[in-house]
Amino acid sequence: MTTIAEQDVALIDLLDRLLGGGVVIAGDITLAAADVDLVYVGLRALIASVATAKEKGVLPEMGSAL
Amino acid sequence: MITLYAITDHPTPPVPALGDMRVVASGDLAAVCGPVLKGEVTAEALWQHERLVEALMDDRDVLPVRYGTCLPDDAAAARTLQDNHAEFAASLETVRGAVELAVRVFAAGNATAAAQPPSEPTTGTAYLRARARVAADESGAGAIVHEPLARTARAATIARVNRPGELMRAAYLVDRDATGAFSERVREIQEQNPQLRITCTGPWPPYSFAAR
Repeated sequence: MTTIAEQDVALIDLLDRLLGGGVVIAGDITLAAADVDLVYVGLRALIASVATAKEKGVLPEMGSAL
Repeated sequence: MITLYAITDHPTPPVPALGDMRVVASGDLAAVCGPVLKGEVTAEALWQHERLVEALMDDRDVLPVRYGTCLPDDAAAARTLQDNHAEFAASLETVRGAVELAVRVFAAGNATAAAQPPSEPTTGTAYLRARARVAADESGAGAIVHEPLARTARAATIARVNRPGELMRAAYLVDRDATGAFSERVREIQEQNPQLRITCTGPWPPYSFAAR
């Protein structure tokens, strides 16, 4: 089993927020639930750039020393 | 069609010269809108959207709008502000002066594999034991990580964990000037608990606290 890579954390936190959080205005979301699932599946495999992940990280090196 | 990035107070500072954003106002609220961006939803498209909302967050309080929210035109945006005025105004008060920090807790190293129920349990008893172990780990992570962090935050939400090895997934609404103290607290908890792997990202716009 693989554990989540450091650089994936920021992307997954981003997905959870943009696609699962925020103000919902009823009836006007262009991404249907099924599309959201597809985005997750598509991007889960994708490694965010290390630069982006570090930029987002409050604790950029957290966990890497363990 | 237009896309909505965020809802904020009106009057609002000029929008940053990033992307193609403009303000549609209605009374004491404003919607920051832009043209609908066509194309596939890629990581870069999501980061680009996020950069715009973060740029807005730099000098104002915002309620981020869920990605992909579109309205026919500016008049519809103004109407949305009117129709939901009480809710949006109250949510803006909730997040005023605060940002969101995201925390996940995983079991570290070998503990991760141990925490997983076997994919094909040999017996029902073995499966139930494995499930019980995971539940104990999750409640332990809550006590060790969540409780002290929640005391440092203005508000907190715990989401259902949804990844292998993940013990906790939470969001904290933290005063803008308290993010340093919060991340220091995370660092302390991590140092005292090498059996856990804690990740903390942010500051994010308050996505997890924008809807009531």
